[in-house]
Amino acid sequence: MREQRLQELLRQTEVPGAADAERRGMLVVEAAFGRSPTRRRPLPRLAATVAIAVLLTALLLSPAGAAVRDWIGDVFSAGVPNAEPELTRIPGGGRLLVQSSQGPWVVKPNGSRRLLGDYREAGWSPRGLFVAAVAGRVLSAIEPDGTPHWSISAAATVRDPRWSPSGLEIAYLAGSALYVIAGDGTEEVRVDGAVAPVPPSFSSRGLAQLAYIDGDGRLRIVDVTGGGLLAAARAVAGIRVLQWGRGDSLLLEGAPRALRLRSVATRKTSAALRIGSPTRLRLPAGATVRAAALSPDGDTVAALVAAGAAGAGRRSEVILFRVGSGAPRRLFTAPGSLSELAWSPDGDRLLLAWPEADQWLFVPARGSGRVRAVDGISRAFAPGGSGGAFPRIEGWCCVPAPPR
Amino acid sequence: MVAAESEGRLVREAQRGSKDALAELYSRHWSDAQRAAYLVVHDASASEDIAQDAFLAAVAALDRFDRRRRLAPWLHRIVVNKSIDWARREELRRAVGEPDTELPAPAAGSQQVGEDLMAALADLPPDQRAVVVLRHLLGYTPGQIARMLDLPRGTVNSRLRRALDRLRSLLEENDR
Repeated sequence: MREQRLQELLRQTEVPGAADAERRGMLVVEAAFGRSPTRRRPLPRLAATVAIAVLLTALLLSPAGAAVRDWIGDVFSAGVPNAEPELTRIPGGGRLLVQSSQGPWVVKPNGSRRLLGDYREAGWSPRGLFVAAVAGRVLSAIEPDGTPHWSISAAATVRDPRWSPSGLEIAYLAGSALYVIAGDGTEEVRVDGAVAPVPPSFSSRGLAQLAYIDGDGRLRIVDVTGGGLLAAARAVAGIRVLQWGRGDSLLLEGAPRALRLRSVATRKTSAALRIGSPTRLRLPAGATVRAAALSPDGDTVAALVAAGAAGAGRRSEVILFRVGSGAPRRLFTAPGSLSELAWSPDGDRLLLAWPEADQWLFVPARGSGRVRAVDGISRAFAPGGSGGAFPRIEGWCCVPAPPR
Repeated sequence: MVAAESEGRLVREAQRGSKDALAELYSRHWSDAQRAAYLVVHDASASEDIAQDAFLAAVAALDRFDRRRRLAPWLHRIVVNKSIDWARREELRRAVGEPDTELPAPAAGSQQVGEDLMAALADLPPDQRAVVVLRHLLGYTPGQIARMLDLPRGTVNSRLRRALDRLRSLLEENDR
């Protein structure tokens, strides 16, 4: 091959998805340009001094000084412009369960909120009729209006309660042990005395099968009705996320540096299951997984990753992977750190948390549509300005509960 | 090629905070940056990340940038070095046996000869791919490449020669 021909071919090479990549890159670069400290002082020194003096005077003399401070903060902070100033509805409907420093809140489709009480963790029951709430060693089932239904006291601090899709069981960790209790608060059973601090996951079809990570880092599947161990395999190192999806034939494993899917199949000769070899989902170079979740229909894995260089170059990306092929699609990119994601009950949207911008983002996951951003999330879940950590999304629940 | 004078003016305006100047610089350089990365790493997502990282580094260092110099070599140096690092990591990962998922097929409409070239490039080590891209896509001289990759000029020449010989032989095999 002549060198000139080689040059032509190299220049004609098309990068798949290049136009979209260029558009996304421009958004990220523009955002970084706007946030760069050097970009914030284009004025000559004298003009800047005068401007600062005027601003300080406004702050000192104006009764709206607080508003001015807010405005300055908005100009120089991250976030989607033109966000809605407060949460007045949940795009796509459903109800949210949100944990703040004051306790869990139920957010209704119209944006109205109710604080459930002094609990530090919570999780929806399958149809949203109850919430499993935790306070120290106490696990409670409460109604979404805050009415307690039952409580039990465990031997150690309780965390990660997970209701089974049938509603018949709740699995939870207490200290280093894994327990399962019936949905009415009876028949507590210790499943394993030494497990890893990873939330367990019930079979998505409502079978009494529970997947969890034991103290040796092994993925185990057990029959919680007394059938014992069904399958075991080595889990990905550093696993943080374990989720059962799509007809019980698949498990998602998530660790800071890896996302993997594993098939789960029934053996022909026994009730035991067989866990297949892991299939790795390809992440961007150097990316760290912050959160990952299978869509409600089990067809898509959403991954929230931190990518890019440390500091001002750090960005967050949401990538959707098709379960069948592993094909990735970048859904959303933002400068800075997004912290969480949650699928809407119908799988049409993702809710992303952006603590630096004090925003929630509702991003369409299918087809096109605009991103809806809501400002003032900390304030919404801290009446009286009690502050604390940015509210944590515990779940986005289901179709409205039927009248009882 | 971008005229150095006009680029210097754009850099100066960007240093003064002009978003339009930044956008113009971006649109002039993005395609080459991503294509160069893609030809080394053979992964569209990774090439997007690498090109983004290079531009973010440029934004972060814009105020210190000497306007008498051209932006492209500086960007391309970052792109190609990051691409080599990425490709080496991937090779290591494959060597320890972690399986991949199926990646999307090449874009519809790609010419066969282009696919053959990509396949042949994939058969080269990352550092040979990089010198081919710098020399024959981006048009740098062996001396410039040596400075960009921090290598002796003789090493660049020998890598180029080995790479071109290998490409020629692979493409001839495909023609048979």
